[in-house]
Amino acid sequence: MSIKKNIELQTIISGLLVSFMTITLLSVLLGLDYTDKNLGSSLIDINEDLTRSANVVTSVVTYFRGLDTLGEVTILFLSIFGIGLGIENSPHMKNILSYDNTLLKLGAKVLFPLIVLFGFYIIIHGHLSPGGGFQGGVIVASGFLLMLLAYGEAFHLNHKIITVFESLSGAGFVLIGILGVILGDIFLSNMLPLGVVGQLFSSGIMPIIYIFVGLKVAAEITVLVEYFLRTEDVG
Amino acid sequence: MLDSLNQTAFLHNVITIGSFIILSIGLIGALSKKNLFKIFLSLSIAEAGLFIYFIGSHFEVGKVAPILGAGVEKFSESMVDPVPQAMILTTIVIAIAILALAMAFVVNYYKLSGHIEIDKMDELGEQR
Repeated sequence: MSIKKNIELQTIISGLLVSFMTITLLSVLLGLDYTDKNLGSSLIDINEDLTRSANVVTSVVTYFRGLDTLGEVTILFLSIFGIGLGIENSPHMKNILSYDNTLLKLGAKVLFPLIVLFGFYIIIHGHLSPGGGFQGGVIVASGFLLMLLAYGEAFHLNHKIITVFESLSGAGFVLIGILGVILGDIFLSNMLPLGVVGQLFSSGIMPIIYIFVGLKVAAEITVLVEYFLRTEDVG
Repeated sequence: MLDSLNQTAFLHNVITIGSFIILSIGLIGALSKKNLFKIFLSLSIAEAGLFIYFIGSHFEVGKVAPILGAGVEKFSESMVDPVPQAMILTTIVIAIAILALAMAFVVNYYKLSGHIEIDKMDELGEQR
């Protein structure tokens, strides 16, 4: 068995050169004096008074850079929308990747509620422990992927329910932001009572935002996975 | 022996060289492969190298994750910078969105033309 040497020398040299220059440029940029090296520690300092969440990364994602997260969720929605443009014309699709296996079907039936429960646990405890909306949403979608792989044609997603969940969670995120303008001072400001660090009902709007993000990500990744499984036209 | 390896500067060097290798593997794959699927998967490998560099260059020996939990009772100076982690979380989600969109375009291109080799593309009237 021999490895085919069909990669040209210029390709290797240019790839190495481009990656070397990229890493060098990044290290120079990160080491500049203009870069604020105290930003992280000052955020950690003000986190306990301002948000009272146990996870500073969640504070940065949903509170200090909450508008950024709104844009990020919008980009994910636009990508799924662009994928949906291609499949709208052909509603009859066949699932090309499914195994007709009784043991797998029984196991999937037992595991599916547990996987979805674990995903929602990760979403709801995003401000207390590692995890959050994006990670938990992907775990929920992986439960649906298991069902699609095990049951094939017998498992059908209700696209109306998925659309309702996705639109309501996206609208809820913006609604929370507008409520922040009305009840607080700025967009996405923390207008709810903050509570005690470490408790489930604490840190104001951050768990609510992560629940909306988690529902939206779960719905979108589920649609995405179903699209790539059902690619063969039958009708 | 192991203590001399467990130093911040040494581990930064390891992370820099490793992310350089992963980035070069991705870029060389993207430049040399002819299959559209393999090109986009190589680009996502190259992205993974950059993620590792960004997270790893803010790692310091002896600092803990910025999360309260078992053994960590209060916020202090011995926590790593949370901003790169949050930024890379954003970047990973956007990378997934772009990869999914590219894959959907590849599937639709295969349905329309019957091949996914970039050598056989002649939609713009090139001479082969």
